[in-house]
Amino acid sequence: MSDVSDLPAPQGEPIAGPAIAVRGLGKRFGDLIAVKGIDLDVPRGSFFGLVGPNGAGKTTTLSMVTGLLRPDAGQAFVLGRDVWADPVATKRLVGVLPDGLKLFDRLTGLQLITYAGLLRGLPRELASERAAELVAALGLTEAQGKLVVDYSAGMTKKVTLASALVHAPRVLVLDEPFEAVDPVSAATIRRILAGFVESGGTVVLSSHVMDLVERICSHVAVISDGLVLAAGELDDVRAGRPLEERFVDLVGGSTEVVGLSWLRTSSD
Amino acid sequence: MVAHLVRLKLALLRNVFRRSRAQTIGAVIGVLYFTVLVLGLALILASFRGSPVEARVVIPLAGAAGIVLWTVVPLFSFGSDPTLDPKRFATFAVPHRDLAVGLLAAALVGLPAIASMVLCAGVVVAWSQTAASTSAAVLGTATGLLTAVTTSRWVSAVLNQAISSRRGRDAIAVVGLLLLVVIGPAVSVVANLGENLAHVAATAAAVVGWSPLGWAWAAPGDIAAGDLLAGVVRLLLAVGLLAVLFRLWSRALRTEVDNPRAVSRTDSGSTSGDDLGLLGRLPPSPAGAVGARVLTYWRRDPRYQISMAMTPIVPFALLIPYYTGDLPWTPLLMGPLVAFLVGWSGHNGVAYESDALWLHIVSGLSGRDDRRGRLVPEVLLAAVLVPLHSLVGVGVAGRWDLLPAVLGVAVALLGGGYAVSSVMSVVLPYPVPESGESPFNAPPGAAGITLAAQSLASLGTLVLASPALLLAWLAWRGSTPACWAAAAVGAALGCVVALLGAELGARLYDRRAPELLSALRRG
Repeated sequence: MSDVSDLPAPQGEPIAGPAIAVRGLGKRFGDLIAVKGIDLDVPRGSFFGLVGPNGAGKTTTLSMVTGLLRPDAGQAFVLGRDVWADPVATKRLVGVLPDGLKLFDRLTGLQLITYAGLLRGLPRELASERAAELVAALGLTEAQGKLVVDYSAGMTKKVTLASALVHAPRVLVLDEPFEAVDPVSAATIRRILAGFVESGGTVVLSSHVMDLVERICSHVAVISDGLVLAAGELDDVRAGRPLEERFVDLVGGSTEVVGLSWLRTSSD
Repeated sequence: MVAHLVRLKLALLRNVFRRSRAQTIGAVIGVLYFTVLVLGLALILASFRGSPVEARVVIPLAGAAGIVLWTVVPLFSFGSDPTLDPKRFATFAVPHRDLAVGLLAAALVGLPAIASMVLCAGVVVAWSQTAASTSAAVLGTATGLLTAVTTSRWVSAVLNQAISSRRGRDAIAVVGLLLLVVIGPAVSVVANLGENLAHVAATAAAVVGWSPLGWAWAAPGDIAAGDLLAGVVRLLLAVGLLAVLFRLWSRALRTEVDNPRAVSRTDSGSTSGDDLGLLGRLPPSPAGAVGARVLTYWRRDPRYQISMAMTPIVPFALLIPYYTGDLPWTPLLMGPLVAFLVGWSGHNGVAYESDALWLHIVSGLSGRDDRRGRLVPEVLLAAVLVPLHSLVGVGVAGRWDLLPAVLGVAVALLGGGYAVSSVMSVVLPYPVPESGESPFNAPPGAAGITLAAQSLASLGTLVLASPALLLAWLAWRGSTPACWAAAAVGAALGCVVALLGAELGARLYDRRAPELLSALRRG
């Protein structure tokens, strides 16, 4: 694990520096070192895809950047502010969609989004106005009065995204935003995110769907086993080949299937 | 199958000690505390070996009480163990009979079962006068313990099914009320006994000994006393009862496995369209939003509804000893008791939300807003219940002169409870049923830490309120100045302690919110 003090903090004014900068970030759970001291810069205004196999440390890394998980080593900066030294200022700039965490699902969809806005200190009129707009934009109008616990997986993702957007963040950190989302909803979410990036925002998302990342992201980082294997502009990382091929190369897993001959039903 | 389930249960028990450090310490303290208690009780039971006549009175009563406790306690306190929740096995093709046997065997691996076994060992020692009585004792206590476990499983299976329908829930509420009504006369009978308690206990033991609850426990006594026929008859009846219960439990299990529905959400109520509900009514600050959200949860989540329904009812139990016994002071405690319950109830508040807390953390919500917001619903509830119960209690007791002291103590307990809750819900969250699970379910292996945390919270509240309690006691002894002092001290103490507690809780939250989230995820 590289020594934190050796690495420079992001330089310059927040306007100029990267949207997210990670320096020597590390986390261990008991015997398992989930993230092994990684450095990563997410340029401002980029649509950044974080790809990696299951258990690579994507969620752990994103949790440490969003203030949900305290790192054991290293620092994370959002727009030049240290996430763990100045959490209040940082959290105001970031919208978060975590993966696999529960929601306050006994609220209705509209209530949940408004609640997220109120927690951020928005005035009530503004929070409910934005909540209504988000509900309409994400196609949840029909379901806005239903409890979130009764939502489908895709609707739950959408309402969580809306909660992440309600305070107009500058940076969005989304963990698996397209998992379990149907193609129509996915297209809606993609359009919203693209608009967000166009207007100067930065999006970081994790995924293991390479096609999707290849289609929408401008930058990409490949993480495996708690290390960054490659990072940069999409075209640089994939080096003229499809991202999936390059990914399998980098990660080094074998795609060959061993055994399972009994599964082949060629006999009939 | 049986071995599998038992191994699963053992693994879950071991995992109790693999949570966060605070939780492990809590669990260890809980286990130590109960080890001492259980060993002491077992020794007392064993000491009845020297006095067989008393043993024939005490042991059947204790055994019957044990069966009742096994059945009732899980419903209100820890919930039945959901490792053994039959619904979880719905997707596995396990024969019903194997599953029934396996689940019972696994139930025998938990801490409560181990405690019961130690107590049973004490009972066996007590009856070990002759070879015949010893073997009858082994058979009898084993049957008794299995009866207790089976009854417990069967009742919670039936209740789980009942609670998934609105009609079932109403039926349970009615039965609960009926029980409360029946407790009155029962306590009055006991209270009017006075000195001839021993005589009545003997009669009760005779009756209980021939009831289904007592068959297994009374049989060894008959044999020890030389009444072979009665002993054998009772043993046969006990074994027959166990067989019947096992059939009933098997059948309930089959229904549950074949029809694994979660607790219904039909009454969770969906508001129409763009109504913000309470979020639109409380002050639009972050703290107000937290308060409105918690209040909304109280209305919509069955886990809160159960305790909400109990809180106003429980203090009325204090009227029973007043009307039936010679205890003129118990109604005075109604107001303080309801204050205690309301303040104390939040000591594990965060755990009920599970890791949904992430939204608070990524929002950068300050600890102060979080803590204060959570106080809002409790303050509203207390503002209604505490005056009401205090007035009723003081009115029934006819001691209007003591009203200031009663209110003072109530405020002190309320403040102490808030303070303890504000701190403990951050420091020591312990596992609770998940949202959407039956409120009668409790996470596996959590009984020890649950009891330890609840005892700690109660003790902390009482200690914080102790100056007011002391003054109130002096007031009861006839000191008028103490009465007013109790009011003034209680009110001041309650407010100061509550604010300080909320502040401390807020600092702790600010410092370790991410760690709290990790603890909630593991819990």
